Amino acid sequence: MSDVAISARRLSPGTKAVLGIFARYGTIIGLLAMIVTFSILSPHAFPTVNNFTNVLNQASLAMIIAGGLTLAVVVGELDLSIGFAASLHGILITGLVVHDKLPIPLAVVIVIALGAVIGLVNGFIVTKVKVNSVIATLGVGTILTGLAFAYSAGVPIVAGVPEAFLQLSLGRWLFGIPNNIIVMILVLGGLWLLVERTPLGQEIQAVGGNAVAARLAGVNVDRIKILGFVISGMCAALTGILLASRLGSGTASAADSYLLTAFAAVFLGSATLRDGEFHVLGTLVGALIIAFGFNGLNIFGAPTFSQYVLQGAILIIAVGMASLGRSLAER
Amino acid sequence: MQTAFTRGAPQQAAPMTTPFLVAHDIAKAFGGAQALKGVSLDIAPGEIHGLVGANGAGKSTFIRILAGLNHPDAGRIEIDGHSQQIATPQRATELGMSFIHQELAFVPGMTVLQNIMLGVPKKSRFGLTDWRAIARDVAPIARRVGISAPLNASVKGLSTAEIWLINICRALVRKARLIVMDEPTASLAASEAERLFAIVRDLSASGVAVLYISHRLDEILNLCSRVSVFRDGRSVAELAGKGLNRPALVEAIVGGTIRDLQRTATARPRGDVVMEASNLTRAPKVRGVSLKLHAGEVLGIGGLVGAGRTELARLLFGADRPDSGEMRLADRPYQPASPAGAVRAGLGLIPEERRAEALFLSKSIAFNLGIANLDKIVHSRYLPLLNRSARTAMAGEMIRSLSIKARNASTPVGRLSGGNQQKVAIGRWLQRTPKVLILDEPTRGVDIGARGEIHRLIRQQAESGMAVLVISSEPDELPDLCDRVLVMAEGRIVRELTGQAVSRKAIVEASYVDPQALMEDHPA
Repeated sequence: MSDVAISARRLSPGTKAVLGIFARYGTIIGLLAMIVTFSILSPHAFPTVNNFTNVLNQASLAMIIAGGLTLAVVVGELDLSIGFAASLHGILITGLVVHDKLPIPLAVVIVIALGAVIGLVNGFIVTKVKVNSVIATLGVGTILTGLAFAYSAGVPIVAGVPEAFLQLSLGRWLFGIPNNIIVMILVLGGLWLLVERTPLGQEIQAVGGNAVAARLAGVNVDRIKILGFVISGMCAALTGILLASRLGSGTASAADSYLLTAFAAVFLGSATLRDGEFHVLGTLVGALIIAFGFNGLNIFGAPTFSQYVLQGAILIIAVGMASLGRSLAER
Repeated sequence: MQTAFTRGAPQQAAPMTTPFLVAHDIAKAFGGAQALKGVSLDIAPGEIHGLVGANGAGKSTFIRILAGLNHPDAGRIEIDGHSQQIATPQRATELGMSFIHQELAFVPGMTVLQNIMLGVPKKSRFGLTDWRAIARDVAPIARRVGISAPLNASVKGLSTAEIWLINICRALVRKARLIVMDEPTASLAASEAERLFAIVRDLSASGVAVLYISHRLDEILNLCSRVSVFRDGRSVAELAGKGLNRPALVEAIVGGTIRDLQRTATARPRGDVVMEASNLTRAPKVRGVSLKLHAGEVLGIGGLVGAGRTELARLLFGADRPDSGEMRLADRPYQPASPAGAVRAGLGLIPEERRAEALFLSKSIAFNLGIANLDKIVHSRYLPLLNRSARTAMAGEMIRSLSIKARNASTPVGRLSGGNQQKVAIGRWLQRTPKVLILDEPTRGVDIGARGEIHRLIRQQAESGMAVLVISSEPDELPDLCDRVLVMAEGRIVRELTGQAVSRKAIVEASYVDPQALMEDHPA
C-alpha cells in the first residue's frame, strides 16, 4: 500500500524541471496570462496606454509602501505599523500645509523624518527590548492610530487644501508621466539598487538569510534590522503623503487598508524568481498582479467584494503553488 | 580534597536473582554511521550500574533505544527474563523504566504536584482530575525523596536540584524499577550533589535499580558496584570489585591497545604571543581560563563536549561578554563588544554548527565568501556599489586555491558537500589574513579526503604566521594537527600538553581530570 503511494509520488526529472520553473516563474506567467486574457475579453477598454498608465498610477502608492515593507521582511521581521503610520502621515501633512501654512517641501521633509523616527522606534523595540516584531509593530501602529485621531480630533481635514499640494500626486512630469509613477520608479529602483547592488545590501540579505551566521561573520545585525524598519517607515510616510494629496484631504484611517495590499504584494513577490525569498523586484510583480486583477474586474463591473476575494485567493494560490512546486521539485 | 561522600560497601549484585534488564548485542546504524556495533549489559534489581565512555561511544543511542525512541537493528532486550520490544516511550514506562535526562523535564508555569504528575495517568472523579486524592498519594513519595517545597507551590524559582528531585519523584510515582540518570550532577553544586548521592543509594536499597551515566569518574567509583564501558559503539569492559578503579576505567575508555599514530605535527619555532587571555570567566561554562596564543602555532583545545570550549571561543570572538577576566591582542587590551569588533581587530571564527551558524545555504558561494570581505568588493569610495566581477573573481580564486568542488561561484552553498561547505566557511576569513583564526570542530561531518585537505590548509595558515586555535572532540584530530594542546574540563584548563606529550591518550586522560581536585593539589 505505502509502496504504491511512494512510487506514485516519484517524479520524472522532466516533471521536476517543469515544477521548478513554475515555482519560480509562476507568478510572472500568471501576470502575463491575466493581461492577455483581459486584453482578449475587453480589447477596447483594457489594453490601452491610458488604462495601463491609470493602473500603474493607482498602484504606485501601494508599490511604494510594499517596497518599504520588503526591506523589513528581507531582514526577517514584519512591520504591521505601516498602514496606520501612513494614515497618520496623511493627516499630519494636510494639517501642516493647511493649518500651519508650512511650505510643502518642508512639510514633506518633516513627515518623512517622522516616518524614519517611527521605524527607529519599531527597530529599537524589536532589537533592543527584544519584543517580537508582530507585537511591537502592531502596538506602535495602534498608538499611531490614536495619535491620528488626537491630531485631527476625529474630523477629516478637507477645506483649504492648496492646489500645489494636490499637484504632488495628481501632477504629471516628463512626457506627461504621472508623478506617482515617477516617485514609485525612483523608490523601487533605489531600494533594488540598495539591496542587490551595494555592500550594505549584502549585509541586509545576510541578516535575512541567517541572522546567527551574519552576526558571526561580523555583521551588526541589530543595526541592519533597525535600518529595515526605518526604510519601511519612510516609505509608509511617502505613501501617506501622496494619498493625502490624491484625496485632497487628511482622514484618520485613509491608508489603513494599504497594510493588507502591501503584505499581499510582498508575499506574492516571495514566490517570484527566487525560492521563497523576499526581494524588491518580486514585490513589484506582486503589486502588479493585484493592480491588474482589480482593474480587470472593475472593467467587467465585478462587485467590490469579488476584488477582495480575488486578492486573497491569488495570494494563497500563488504562494502555495510556488511552495508546493519547490518541495515536489526537490523530492 | 574533602571526601564528598564515604564509600559504602557496594551492594553486590546478587547472582541468584534474575537481572531486571538484559541487553544483548544491540546494534544500531543511522544512515551510514554505525552508532552501536554490539553492546551488552545487564542490570540487577536495586543495582547502581555505572555507564561511561567518550563522546560518540554510543551511550546516548543505547539510552534512546531503552527509552523506545530508537529501535535497534539487531540484538535482544529482556526485562525480568522476558524478551521485549520497546516500540514506544509509553512501552518503556510500562516496563518500569524511567529516564532523567541532562535537560530536566519540567514546565515552569505549573505547580510541584502538576510537574510530578506530568504525563502520568491521573485519578479522576466525575471526569475531573482529582488533585486532592493525587496529592494524598504523592505526598509520602515526595517526603521520601526530600522535596521541601509544598506540592501546590509553583516550580518557579526552585533550584536545579529540586527540579531533579521532582523528576525522581515522577519516576517513583510511575513505579519505576530502573531509573536511568544521564549526567545527573552536571549542573549541581557540591552539596546538592551529595544529597543526590544519598537519594540514589536510598533508591537502590529499596530495590530500584539505577543506570548512572557520568563523565565524573570519582562519582562513578563511589556510587556504582559495577561499571560498563562503551567505546566506539561496543561494550568493551565491565568492571566490578577490585578491578573497578580509576586507571582501569581510563584505560578502558581510551582503549589501551590503540597505539598513537606518529605525530605529524612537530613543534616548530613559534612567534610572539598574539593573543592572551587571563582569568576569563563566564559562569557557569568558562571559569578562570588563561591562555597564550603564539603567532605561527596551532593550539588545540581538547576536552569533553560541554567542557566549555565552544563558550571560550565565543568569548574570544566577542560573541558573548565575559563576567570577568582580561584579553589582550597584539599587546593591546582587547574587549570586543561584538563579533564585528573582533573581526575588525583581526579575528576569524569558524563555528561548530556550520549550517546553522556560518553559512547562508540558499546563497551563492560568492555571497558566502564576500560577506566578510565587503570592504574589498566595493567599486570605490566614490561609487559605493558592489563590484560583482571582483566578487566573482575573488570567489573563483578561493574555489581554485581551496579546491572547492562546485560548478562555479554562483552555486548555492546548500548544494555542496560538508567538506566543501567547511572550506567556504574557512575561505571567508582567509581573504582577510586574520591574526587569529579559531576553528570549532573543523572536520565534523566531513569526509576523510576533505579532512586531510582542511588539516593541510590549517597547517599552511600557521606556517604563514597566523595564530590558529582548534577545538576538537575527535580523539585523533588534535595530535595530528596541533603543536600544543590545552585540555579543558568543566570550564577550566586542566592540562597543557606540548611536543611529544600530545597524544590521543593523554588528551582523553586529562579530559577526565576533576578540576576541583586539581585546584586542591596546586593551590593558586
